[in-house]
Amino acid sequence: MDIRLEGISHSYDTFEVMRDISLEIPSGQIVCIVGPSGCGKSTLLRFIGGLEQPKRGRVLQLGEPPKGCLNPLTYIFQDFALLPWRSVSGNISLVLEDHGIKGAAARTIIEDVLARTKLTDFAKALPKQLSGGMKQRVAIARALAVNPAVMLMDEPLSALDSQTRELLMDDLVELWIRQPFTAVYVTHNLAEAVRLGHKVVVLSRRPGQIREVVDIDKPLAEREFGDADLDRAQKHLWQLMRDEARAADAELLNG
Amino acid sequence: MDNTGKSVAFRGGGFAPQSRRWVGVLVFVALILFVEWGTRAGWISSLSLPRPSDVLDTFRQLYDSGLLFKHLLPSLSRLFVGALIGASIGIAVGIMIGLFSYVRSGLVPLVAAIFPIPKIALLPLFVIWFGIGEGSKYALIAFGTFTPTVVATYGAVDNVDRTLIRMGQSFGLSWWSIVRKIVLPGAMPGILSGLRISLAIAIILLVAAEMLGAEYGIGAYILEAGSLYDLERLFAGVLILSLLGVLISALIGTLERRLLGWRT
Amino acid sequence: MTHLNRRRALALMGGTVAAAGLAAPAYAQNKTIKVGALRFTSHSASFIALERGYFAEAGLNVEFEFFQAATPMAVAIASGDVDYAVTAVSGGLINLAEKGAIKVIGGALSEEDGIDGQKYLASDAAFQAGVTSCAALDGKRYAVTQAGSSFHYMGSKMAQAEGIDLSFVPLQKVGAIIGAMKSGQVDGWSIVPHIAKPLAGSGALHIIGNVADYLPDYQVTTVFTSAKNAADERGQTESFLNGFSKGADDYAAAMIDGTADQDAMVDLIHKYVYTDRERAKAAPSIINGTMRINKGAALNLASIQDQLDWFQSEGLVDAGISIDQLVDTSYVEMIGA
Repeated sequence: MDIRLEGISHSYDTFEVMRDISLEIPSGQIVCIVGPSGCGKSTLLRFIGGLEQPKRGRVLQLGEPPKGCLNPLTYIFQDFALLPWRSVSGNISLVLEDHGIKGAAARTIIEDVLARTKLTDFAKALPKQLSGGMKQRVAIARALAVNPAVMLMDEPLSALDSQTRELLMDDLVELWIRQPFTAVYVTHNLAEAVRLGHKVVVLSRRPGQIREVVDIDKPLAEREFGDADLDRAQKHLWQLMRDEARAADAELLNG
Repeated sequence: MDNTGKSVAFRGGGFAPQSRRWVGVLVFVALILFVEWGTRAGWISSLSLPRPSDVLDTFRQLYDSGLLFKHLLPSLSRLFVGALIGASIGIAVGIMIGLFSYVRSGLVPLVAAIFPIPKIALLPLFVIWFGIGEGSKYALIAFGTFTPTVVATYGAVDNVDRTLIRMGQSFGLSWWSIVRKIVLPGAMPGILSGLRISLAIAIILLVAAEMLGAEYGIGAYILEAGSLYDLERLFAGVLILSLLGVLISALIGTLERRLLGWRT
Repeated sequence: MTHLNRRRALALMGGTVAAAGLAAPAYAQNKTIKVGALRFTSHSASFIALERGYFAEAGLNVEFEFFQAATPMAVAIASGDVDYAVTAVSGGLINLAEKGAIKVIGGALSEEDGIDGQKYLASDAAFQAGVTSCAALDGKRYAVTQAGSSFHYMGSKMAQAEGIDLSFVPLQKVGAIIGAMKSGQVDGWSIVPHIAKPLAGSGALHIIGNVADYLPDYQVTTVFTSAKNAADERGQTESFLNGFSKGADDYAAAMIDGTADQDAMVDLIHKYVYTDRERAKAAPSIINGTMRINKGAALNLASIQDQLDWFQSEGLVDAGISIDQLVDTSYVEMIGA
């Protein structure tokens, strides 16, 4: 299932935040969206997932979601959004219960996704007992449990320290290699974008418009920490973004 | 380098009171012994304060004669039924206020208007509405616990992490599932601390509720002791209310530990 | 400070009044005392004594302290905030006497043959259901202000005489009782005639008996003071009783015996009682409320003994209390003993 954005524009009252964004998200690819703060990256992600409605333009699903998909468009949030009163497996079963999956069927799914995210030993732990990286892995496991067509990832690693971030990026790459998934990955971190994205969409400062779409052809499996090709791509992205970021920063200060 | 420099003075202490359980007990014991001494020595007249040992003796007589439970049971059932009605309606209304714009706009001013009314003032009205029997007593206690519960509950619902609700929506959870599995547990800490206050108010109102037409009950017992100027009985009754307050507070404490173990 | 100055000023004024009335037997010399009162016609003797200068003649400068209920007045006497007051014998009064705080020194309101006294009432609902006499109140709900109040005593003594059972419902205030009676929440009650008659006249309640039939010579209210006043301030206490008795005499002459101008007396009482109503409306209530205030503040000791016995039998006061702890018999004539 592909996603197509057609002429998305948005404003709050007279305050224009996004202008005429059109974009293709092809199946099986990770599309990263980067841009200076306040450019509407996260808002765009909420449009894609149907949590908010744009003033103009539309988001289209092309084709049917694969069979067995419980929740085609599934988010992973920056702050994990785990229910603190439920255990790791309880948090995953939360999203299955409403689809009538209980008992043994639920247990099979939960065991599978916990194994894929290396959390099997922590099934009974409460979120407060877990580190940030573990929490985000639980959130990823929860997203995998509903077998999504597209994962919508809103700065999923921004709340983590840099080592944990590296580890989790490795985990995500590994997950994708084993079973390629479609994802829209919003981040302000260019290193993440070049490491995970097949395509990197650079947005301008407010009102957000697409400045450029950069394709990174190197296969995910071959990308490594400190890769020269990736550094080049990152530098290119930074050049695109620097002026935008500076202007956006000043704009915020001028208020 | 000079190695004889003076060490930096520590200035970080204090402002972190810790609980020292036995100090509280000691204050109680000292106060009671002081009054006992004063009443025995005579410089506290029997008019001003009863002798603590006499109060204890009155309490013992109350227990021995079986009157304690004759007074306690009706009071406990009034407290239980009244607080149950008031708290459950209060939680339900509080959640509705927390969830629906129209309910919020319609009821928040109403609750604000009802809150400061001394519920005792409405007692004669309740007697007409619900009769002089148990009905008016339940109603008074229910009404008194209702308002603080509503305010605490909708405040608690407002404070539920919105990202959790958005998460629920993003996974396609039904409205009812979101309320039941996310809003309600998320609001539970606020609801329980609200209950602490509303149940204390329920105990206060128990005495008021038993002003009209109650032959038995701790409140009736205290009021009778007051009108008879029988200080020993008065204090024995007050002692029971205090113990009831401590008991309810401990009960909610247990409930909090059980239900809110997930809090960091 | 202001309080002290006011008291001093009043004491000085009292002095000049007392000097003008030198003819009176002066037990006390221009002392300022506080007298507790309820705004009831039954307290008229004190009002008259002040208005007609009988207290001043006795060398007392009296200030009234008004209360809403009898119990706080008794507590105020015990705490020394008020020197003398008139109220019904209640459990609270007896308990305060036991603690050595107060003494009954004289009698005031009494039930007396030939004078319309307190009434037993039935609610309209109960009356329609056949409660047309006190005996028919068997098993019914009987309103009292509090356990151990005079209402409780009257109800209980009536029940005892009729051999019936009543369940007593405490409702704290007369207003609450009237509301509960009107709405049929309680069935029976007793009250002074000036409240009973208008209620019965409007058809809301029905008079089903006279208290005097069950409690002849019932000493309804008594004069009391702190034990300290009774023991140590003999002159002042006698002066007070002297003034009070003259007030009672004037009251009886005008309201009962018809030997003095009733209108003038109603005018005087209206200064203190039913002040929120115009005179024309207040007058019938004041006249209806007429009962005997004992001559010379004589005390019916037999009635007091009976009341004390009842309180003890009900377990409302300690069984060990003797009548001597409650009453100082040295001041006025004891009757009925």
